[in-house]
Amino acid sequence: MIAIKQLTKTYNIGEENEVVALSALDLEVKEGDFVMIVGSNGSGKSTLMNLLLGVTKPTSGKILVDGNDISGLAQHRRSKWISMVFQNPSNGTASELTILENFRLASLRTQAKGLKIGMDAKFREKVIELVSTLGMGLEKKLDQPMGSLSGGQRQALTLLMGVIDDTKILLMDEPTSALDPRSSEIIIKLAEKINLEKGITILFVTHSMKDALQYGNRLLMFHSGKITKDIKADEKKRLTLSNLYDWF
Amino acid sequence: MSTFLISAVQLALCLVPMAMGIFITMKVFGIPDITTDGSYTLGATVTAVMMSNHMPIWMVMPMSMAAGAISGSITGFIHTKFNIDALLSGILVMTALYSVNLIIMGRSNIPLIDIETLFQFISISEDQNINALFVTVLLVLTLYFLLIYLLKTDFGISMRATGNNPIMTKSLGVNNDKIKIIGLAMSNALTAMSGFLVAQYQGFADINMGIGIVITGLGSVLIADALKKAFRIQKIGYQLLFLIIGSLMFQQVLAITLSLGTDPALLKMVTASFVLIIVALPGIHKRYSKN
Repeated sequence: MIAIKQLTKTYNIGEENEVVALSALDLEVKEGDFVMIVGSNGSGKSTLMNLLLGVTKPTSGKILVDGNDISGLAQHRRSKWISMVFQNPSNGTASELTILENFRLASLRTQAKGLKIGMDAKFREKVIELVSTLGMGLEKKLDQPMGSLSGGQRQALTLLMGVIDDTKILLMDEPTSALDPRSSEIIIKLAEKINLEKGITILFVTHSMKDALQYGNRLLMFHSGKITKDIKADEKKRLTLSNLYDWF
Repeated sequence: MSTFLISAVQLALCLVPMAMGIFITMKVFGIPDITTDGSYTLGATVTAVMMSNHMPIWMVMPMSMAAGAISGSITGFIHTKFNIDALLSGILVMTALYSVNLIIMGRSNIPLIDIETLFQFISISEDQNINALFVTVLLVLTLYFLLIYLLKTDFGISMRATGNNPIMTKSLGVNNDKIKIIGLAMSNALTAMSGFLVAQYQGFADINMGIGIVITGLGSVLIADALKKAFRIQKIGYQLLFLIIGSLMFQQVLAITLSLGTDPALLKMVTASFVLIIVALPGIHKRYSKN
């Protein structure tokens, strides 16, 4: 699914404040994996997310998705494969548009945005069905501006918007850091459900060791732009919090 | 209705397309676009040159709008591809358009005397002013419904979302640069349409007719914004209706100012002062309501 080869990102090359954010990273992620990513600030987790999403271009190395080299692709062209849930709930939704309009745009991620009104009764039904799975009562508020919702509600909707069509990879960059514990739990459980039911590959960056331990089938630990631990399936199940803190 | 009032209403309606254009750049994309001053005159100069050469009116309107669209897309291209501030991009194109307009006209003024204009196409009354008003109302209503439709389409949603949250739209597969260029092209096509209408309304095109016109359009947009906030209405249809009301209010204030005997030389200052009042009022109200 995802193959990362010798991926390096250096900021401010040749200047006094040159920083190697990611150093010759090699990584393969299989389809349907739920990868939890931990590491200290500046360890390269978010840089990896930004490189995958296309916010920034690599200094060297390649990113392959289903065998396609996406390293040089513009961000909007990567949406064919990749969806993103940002750290800040405001980044994932358009506050002045209604919930329904936000979903409409998300549903067109891989399609042309043409001159037809796509928000018909059929589409509304589809969104109602999807949003009602959250159990937040938001399906009754589809015509309200997104900006009128709480951060937790917006983040949950961003997650659903990310998977309304056939996305293959979901990037989640500390999506719970701005949320209260209850909303955080809803988001991560929803991500787990999406992974299990739809088989979407998820890369989930978190600062919560507890979540990193409890969720996902693989754990990556980053330090100084490198992966220092890569723990899979059964081995991950045997991990304890103290193991993680020892390695951190 | 007096001729004086009808004239003011008609001028206001002629300027509605420009206000709609400024609404697209300012309110939809959050881009302050100064190309307006140049593209408005461009619409008028293309109109004057074509009409004085007896070209059919059905050809003149699309040509003047296409000229406006090209100037807007150049501003959009400079802004997005060279990463130049939108304001500066607009100023550059507006400055260049002054020369372009002079070249197109070949002189600084072209009168449109004894030439049949768009306003003479429909005859429902013996009074030519009423006929002209009727044509303009029809045109503005058509634009109004077209713009409402456009902003509700998938493309329109992409436009609105790009202005509201470009980070999100990029991640949802929207080419922000392309959509901004299209938006600026549309906006300036509408502005040029106002130039097309006003040139026929006043019976001439002048190289200086666009100076400061952006403030007039901006005034309408700001009045519409104030009405939107006052009535707490988000719906696109109402916002565009407020825009038309804003344009009418703006021109009425100027007409009343002139009717009170104000020196026409002071008109631009009155316009600027009126816009200043609209912009400053919410802040003043906030400050005093807090105290």
